[in-house]
Amino acid sequence: MQRQIQDAYIVAATRTPVARRKGMFRNVRPDDLLAHVLKSVMAQAPGLDPALIGDVIVGCAMPEAEQGMNVARIGVLLVGLPNTVPGITINRFCSSGLQAVADAASQIQLGNADVMIAAGTESMTVMTNMMGNKVVVNPAVFAADEQRGIAFGMGLTAEKVAQQWQIGREAQDAFAVESHRKACAAIAAGHFKAEISPFAFSEHLPDLKSGEVRLRQRLAEHDEGARTDVSVDSLGRLKPVFHARGTVTAGNASQMSDGAAAVLLVSGKILRQFNLTPLARFCSYAVAGVPPEIMGIGPVAAIPKALAQAGISLQQLDWIELNEAFAAQALAVMHDLELDPARVNPLGGAIALGHPLGATGAIRTATLVHGLQRTGGRYGMISMCIGTGMGAAGVFERL
Amino acid sequence: MKWVVKKAAVLGAGVMGAQIAAHLANARVPVVLFDLPAKEGDKNGVVKKALDGLKRLQPAPLVSRDTLQYIDAANYEEHLELLSGCDLIIEAIAERMDWKNDLYARIAPFVTPGTVLASNTSGLSINGLAEALPAALRPNFCGIHFFNPPRYMPLVEIIATRDSAPAMLDGLETWLTSRLGKGVVRALDTPNFVANRIGVFSILAVMHHTAAFGLGFDTADALTGPKIGRPKSATFRTGDVVGLDTLAHVVNTMRDTLPSDPWHAFFKAPAWLDGLIARGALGQKTKAGIYRKQGKAIEVFDPAAGDYRASDDSLSAEVAAILKLVDPAARLKALRESGDAQAQFVWAIFRDLFHYCAVQLENVADNARDVDFALRWGFGWAQGPFELWQAAGWADTAEAIATDIEAGRAMSRAPLPAWVTAPGRSGVHGAAGSWSARREADVPRSTLPVYARQLLPERLLGEAGARPEESGETLFENAGVRLWRLPAVDGGIGIVSFKSKMHAIGDEVVDGLLEALSRAERELDGLVIWHEAPFAVGANLKQIHDACVAGDVERLERTVSRFQQTAMAIKFSAVPVVAAVEGMALGGGCEFAMHARKRVLALESQLGLVEVGVGLIPSGGGCKELALRAARWAAQSGTAGEVLGNLTPTFMAVATGKTGKSAHEAIGMGYASADDTILFHPRELLWVALKEARLLADAGYVPPVPARGVPVAGRAGIASMEMTLVNMREGGMISAHDYRVSRAVAVALCGGEVEYGSLVDEAWLLTVERREFIELLKTPETRARIQHMLETGKPLRN
Repeated sequence: MQRQIQDAYIVAATRTPVARRKGMFRNVRPDDLLAHVLKSVMAQAPGLDPALIGDVIVGCAMPEAEQGMNVARIGVLLVGLPNTVPGITINRFCSSGLQAVADAASQIQLGNADVMIAAGTESMTVMTNMMGNKVVVNPAVFAADEQRGIAFGMGLTAEKVAQQWQIGREAQDAFAVESHRKACAAIAAGHFKAEISPFAFSEHLPDLKSGEVRLRQRLAEHDEGARTDVSVDSLGRLKPVFHARGTVTAGNASQMSDGAAAVLLVSGKILRQFNLTPLARFCSYAVAGVPPEIMGIGPVAAIPKALAQAGISLQQLDWIELNEAFAAQALAVMHDLELDPARVNPLGGAIALGHPLGATGAIRTATLVHGLQRTGGRYGMISMCIGTGMGAAGVFERL
Repeated sequence: MKWVVKKAAVLGAGVMGAQIAAHLANARVPVVLFDLPAKEGDKNGVVKKALDGLKRLQPAPLVSRDTLQYIDAANYEEHLELLSGCDLIIEAIAERMDWKNDLYARIAPFVTPGTVLASNTSGLSINGLAEALPAALRPNFCGIHFFNPPRYMPLVEIIATRDSAPAMLDGLETWLTSRLGKGVVRALDTPNFVANRIGVFSILAVMHHTAAFGLGFDTADALTGPKIGRPKSATFRTGDVVGLDTLAHVVNTMRDTLPSDPWHAFFKAPAWLDGLIARGALGQKTKAGIYRKQGKAIEVFDPAAGDYRASDDSLSAEVAAILKLVDPAARLKALRESGDAQAQFVWAIFRDLFHYCAVQLENVADNARDVDFALRWGFGWAQGPFELWQAAGWADTAEAIATDIEAGRAMSRAPLPAWVTAPGRSGVHGAAGSWSARREADVPRSTLPVYARQLLPERLLGEAGARPEESGETLFENAGVRLWRLPAVDGGIGIVSFKSKMHAIGDEVVDGLLEALSRAERELDGLVIWHEAPFAVGANLKQIHDACVAGDVERLERTVSRFQQTAMAIKFSAVPVVAAVEGMALGGGCEFAMHARKRVLALESQLGLVEVGVGLIPSGGGCKELALRAARWAAQSGTAGEVLGNLTPTFMAVATGKTGKSAHEAIGMGYASADDTILFHPRELLWVALKEARLLADAGYVPPVPARGVPVAGRAGIASMEMTLVNMREGGMISAHDYRVSRAVAVALCGGEVEYGSLVDEAWLLTVERREFIELLKTPETRARIQHMLETGKPLRN
């Protein structure tokens, strides 16, 4: 157990539905998505004085353009929280959202704050290039062979993992099909209802015929990425993208998406003072580095560290949210750590549900804490690989 | 009367209708494409599906991705009122007289008087169709027969009815010629008109003689393709491409509509063709027809065995040698006199084709010129039947044909018409025009003003008129170029034409061009670089290869320097230089075109910097120009200095040697400018280029000054491009040498290994690309690529 002054409890966790890139949120800004989840998460703790919020930490993997300008602070102001509430945007690529939860929890554990919001927001619609609006690589990357991995595209790193761990095309496609199947079943059963805050928004569209601006009202309620029509056969027809003789395709990789999530964390004192019911207790968080060219294997390094810090064993985990950046790396991680497939991504993963990079960690926190509530499981974990070669893992306990 | 098409409609979104609409859109004529309302869903569903298909069709019917925006989808149920705003309506629905009549009746109330209504029918009587129209519409009705694929096949047959207004026909011909770039032939209202009547007869004759001589379809195709100036698809493969069912349909139309044709007995599908159709082998669209692909092997149908066998395109040594003879008279004579079955076959198909054309000329066409151009433009033949006959010696050939008719060897016993054997006749094309059997006179070419735009029109063999290389007044000439002018058009503008094979750019072209530029500055107001296609296939590789073999690096450096110097001389010339580009402008050709003040581009121009294919990079100023453009675009977009974003797509195009497939694509790729002129008819290039040069000169031409203070992407830009290369290399998509060559492209585009945003000048950029070029020439892999290209004409992947 870590040394700490007090525990951090999650009392609310909610998210937007996740949209396909250029899908239902094509005209929605990431700061507006953030404002929506900040408002929604506060609404789930009625009576809690927002002035007590010590900080709002927001993960975002490409914090520029519409999600630049310290989007965390913009979100706080847009939603109308007291302007005394600060905000900070943080970036550790795909684990940014989980990092935000861990950082928020740390502030409480250290006694620096009693109320914290952790969030994540990402629009891959507005940030189409995963390397940002201006891509200017350091020439030093190519000066030494050992640095070249920095230049590898994510898909190529997945090919490297597939090669080294001998994960074949069929296994990857089958994994992807299963992700879609689980996600579709979960949506049909309403398993995401508790964690999603439906988002009503309007779009200002030119009506060329009338010459008027048309206001289209829309309501987003469900994740957009899951497909009922995929099969090993249909995915098998897709061409590999990153290697001439490769196995990684658009079908067995995570989807590019838009979405946001927010998590409200408080100390025990606040729980009692405002009579709040905790959903879960934050147990631990760890990150670790791996070679950049096989970045997908990152969770193998991070998960044991997080478990050791939480003082539990792998077998005690009832629910594992393992981000499906690529089927190849997810299968390699599951193989190395001998993860029980039945406990991994029971509601599907990023291949079906989407992966709005910096928001994913916060989004899956909402999935995990509500999922444990529904199923009665005790411990859960969220883990993901991170570009340029890292892994992150966080452990939670249902209360 | 001036006739302008501001908006057009095409009725019928089938293969032809959709592609005709696409070509109108290519010409930036807004078009409404109609079809039946879909039975369910979106009522424009049928048309939308057709429009979607245009994006995938090959060869591409659209000149650029954004062209589709000029086509609106419509259906006959909801949108007929849209017809009233159209100046031209082209009907291209299925070939059924009753359906067409119904449609005409339905649209008639919406057709504005003055609107031209034309049918793309290939088989029905135009006069018959006109009868169903209200009298008021008939003067503006005619046939307008496009050939598939309409973007690429030049021929359009215009078929007048008894009531068609001559002014309307002239307006339509003018518009089709200049705006759509078509070759117009005025056809008579006879079954299958001109091109298909003769072309399909030719197919039937080949089929007949293939069987008679016991040849395989593969052998017949080897004999009736490029070796006799016809397309690669020759005869039987063409059947597979158009569809065997379609072919049978056309043949049956001939059978039904031409009962008194002396060759009528041959107007029927052979049993094997019906057999293939019955078993669903319809050609390309069903993946099997006369030919089929089994894995990588190509198999051909053998009618005797009733099954496929391996295809074999080898020929007898004797016929192969005869077909290499350049003199048409000697060639035809040798074929005729040879005992070789394949040679006899080729003589027989020509004999019967000539025979048929001679007998039918008075029935199917106004004159022999129309027949020859119809076959050139509609069937892709290098020469039409009459010009070939004339070139082979009219009287001798006529006598040989007559002998064969007499002996019963020809397909028909119909005698040759008297005019063929009239004393003193030496052909059908001559100074007075081309022979019209109907008018019994030689008919000169059309005097429509639009043809004045074609200073050097396409000429048939035997036709009067100077060839380009004999035209005008020569001012200077060396082994590589000729500088000349056309005083009757504009004596102040020089025309420089390359003389080299495929217009490759070697030392003699470079020397000549420099001299021509220098003379133009002293003596002329402007200069046009023009010759017939291709514009230039690039640098003369053999000269570079020879210098490499000799190990003469100094000579190589001198060659590259001089190449760059020439490009710079084009750019900074004191008089405006206009490049008139048609066809391929590759490598150095593309670079020279890029350096001109302005380009006049034929629609079908293929510009590309393809040097990587031989392990080199553009170093005639091509990379420099792209770097300058990136800097200019960055400044224009309000982010001066941020050049890298503008260079990234350029880098991929150069590193992969991509070639634009149209003038529009060349502009999109930065090899031409948005304010360049695009012409649909390539024969108008010279006239327009002369006008453009004159306008630039008269407007007070100010040459550019060499650019300074140019921000470049430098080391960080190179690294960013190298990131792509690392991924392609690791992904097994490129070789180590590809990597090296592409990195050299990056270095040249980014202005060398300097800091991001460094300010350089044009001379610096030239130095960088020249150094990279020379370094690559020193590598064995690049030398191997050059040698391979010289030996095989194909790029080596090493």
